[in-house]
Amino acid sequence: MTGRAAKATGVNDTFAIETFNLTKIFDGCLAVDGIDLAIKKGELFALLGPNGAGKTTTINMLCCLLKPTGGTARVMGYDINQEPYKIKEVIGVSPQETTLSERLNALENLNLIGRLHGISPRKLKTWSKLMLETMGLAERARDQVRKFSGGMKRRLNIALALIHNPQILFLDEPTLGLDPQARRAVRQYIARLNGDKTILLTTHYMDEADFLADRVGIMDEGKIAALGTSVELKTEMLATHTMVVQAWNLTQKVVNDMRSRYTQVAVDKGSMTISDQRLDFKEIVDQLHAAGAVVRSAHIKEPTLEDVFLKITGKGLRE
Amino acid sequence: MRFWQLSLRSFKETYRDPLALGFLLAFPLMFMLLFGAAFGGDTAPSYTIGVIDEDQTTVSQSFVSEALASVPTIEITTFTETNTALEQLELGDLRAYIVLPEGFGEQVLLSWQDGEADIALNITYDESDLMASEQIIASINTATRAFARIEIPVTINANPINIETEITNIDYIAPGIIIFGLLIMIPTSARIMLRDKENRFLSRLLTTPTRPWEFISSYSLSLVAIAITQIIVFILLGWLFGMDIVGSILLAFLIFLLTAICSIGVGMVIASLTKSENQGESLSWLFSMPLAIVSGVWFSVEFMPSYIQTLAHAFPFSHAVDAARAVITRGVGLEAVSGDLVFLAGWAAGIFILGTILFGRTMRS
Ligand SMILES: Nc1ncnc2c1ncn2[C@@H]1O[C@H](COP(=O)(O)OP(=O)(O)O)[C@@H](O)[C@H]1O
Ligand SMILES: [Mg+2]
Repeated sequence: MTGRAAKATGVNDTFAIETFNLTKIFDGCLAVDGIDLAIKKGELFALLGPNGAGKTTTINMLCCLLKPTGGTARVMGYDINQEPYKIKEVIGVSPQETTLSERLNALENLNLIGRLHGISPRKLKTWSKLMLETMGLAERARDQVRKFSGGMKRRLNIALALIHNPQILFLDEPTLGLDPQARRAVRQYIARLNGDKTILLTTHYMDEADFLADRVGIMDEGKIAALGTSVELKTEMLATHTMVVQAWNLTQKVVNDMRSRYTQVAVDKGSMTISDQRLDFKEIVDQLHAAGAVVRSAHIKEPTLEDVFLKITGKGLRE
Repeated sequence: MRFWQLSLRSFKETYRDPLALGFLLAFPLMFMLLFGAAFGGDTAPSYTIGVIDEDQTTVSQSFVSEALASVPTIEITTFTETNTALEQLELGDLRAYIVLPEGFGEQVLLSWQDGEADIALNITYDESDLMASEQIIASINTATRAFARIEIPVTINANPINIETEITNIDYIAPGIIIFGLLIMIPTSARIMLRDKENRFLSRLLTTPTRPWEFISSYSLSLVAIAITQIIVFILLGWLFGMDIVGSILLAFLIFLLTAICSIGVGMVIASLTKSENQGESLSWLFSMPLAIVSGVWFSVEFMPSYIQTLAHAFPFSHAVDAARAVITRGVGLEAVSGDLVFLAGWAAGIFILGTILFGRTMRS
């Protein structure tokens, strides 16, 4: 069915989501600045960026809650401006804010969203049971949602996006406000969904994007600043490597000696951080010894997406 | 059906909220009690009525001495001359006077024989004394029908004249208060949708393929259930305070229901146009309070400038007040209020279409 629609509109069948110069301006504030994205079917794509980067605005345009100021996008071949209802039939959305019907119980919430998506009551009965078990809410299925803890609400918020088994899933900061344990559970669940559905996830946790995503788009001030797999981003974007050394006797002489050899050397209470385009572990340890320092431990620091972000935008992910 | 699922949800959200539910029922209840206490009282007012028997048949004479004399709320004084009765009316000694025209007895006899008759009475009263006169007309109507043993209301040629007095009565007041109670469904309706808007649950619902008309009609359906409960409470209370429903209770109910639907529709329009509960609620009160006054829910608006009356007539509530009073106090039938009913129904349909269009426009900003 989607195949036919795609053919009819002459759209490339491999992409679940495509944006074309997608732009949103809120009374003079440029929230999304002409982004072009192409997300393949079955891909888990993460938009990583600090608060206010425009991630939520992008998702809201893609699920037809907001009208773009300029440009357009296609979701499963349907244009967001032309066929919003077609899109709403195939998507599941877990909004950034937890939005539940507070005086309905968990089961009723799931059933409501399921029925609005046209799922038969019989199917819903098994699906919602399964979903409540997966999200660890089975025991509280018949309790009014307003009595739930923040974490429980958050899990139900995600479950509501999944109850109708949508082809495309939008997860806006799915682990926001969860404790570490629940966060891990939700991440594992999302990882299990990967491959089966197309997922667009937003987050400002770089480890989440790193762990979950097939590809990451780094977003800042409404623009996609960098795009690629996490490995690509880390290797291509970071030409420099960093080594951290813990040592005694880091005298000014030692520091001056190392500064003469490497582009960047920083010292902080018995710990030295050395960065350069090329680093040789053994060579550095030998040089330190030769200068009179006693090395206790040393390791090459793996670059993180945080470093990538810092390098591209010149600022941290959380500020 | 999507809209049914949404209605159920809306209804559950309301009845599981004791505070909201309490407010919905307590607020109108309070109004009714307040007005009931002010205008009801336990002493039924007694009116002195003049009677001029121009027919002078045995039937007309027994009508005066038996039927009219047995009405508890009126006291009869007979006159031979219309002029003397009018003088007394102007002096305030009489509240109204009735003229039994020639042929009255003949028509009553006809109705006794084969049921087909055209019984007419002429009644003259002070037009500013609307409440009393409504009740006098209602009582005389009932008495005449009992006397003539007919089902249909009698033709009463009302002839209001202008004399200054001020007396109120529950029969006149109650229908207006009920309409007022239904008018304040406007803020209630707006609030229910705006709550979903403000806590963003509506956004989540908007990511499902639900259409604008389904949203509007589902919110409304759950509100109609509330409205029906309110109307029943109103009618029961009115009855407790001594409101007589002379006409058909079903017809009165229909008028009230259509009024409620119009209010709900206005609430939906306001909710579609505003963003927060506070905004919507202020706008609702700003709209419904002046409208209540010019629609004549508390007092007659005949003294107001004609353009205000024209304005009031563009909205359904003044029509509802007129129709409800006509049915409840004068016992008129469907035909007499059909114009008002059509206006109410048309207005309800129009406001729902407008609400749906506005909701559709604003659901994607
Ligand atoms: N409804 C709105 N009205 C005005 N400005 C908005 C609105 N929504 C978002 N913004 C602005 O757009 C920018 C992007 O916001 P958002 O998409 O929520 O970022 P993110 O989800 O990446 O944190 C922010 O500067 C925010 O203040
Ligand atoms: Mg966001």
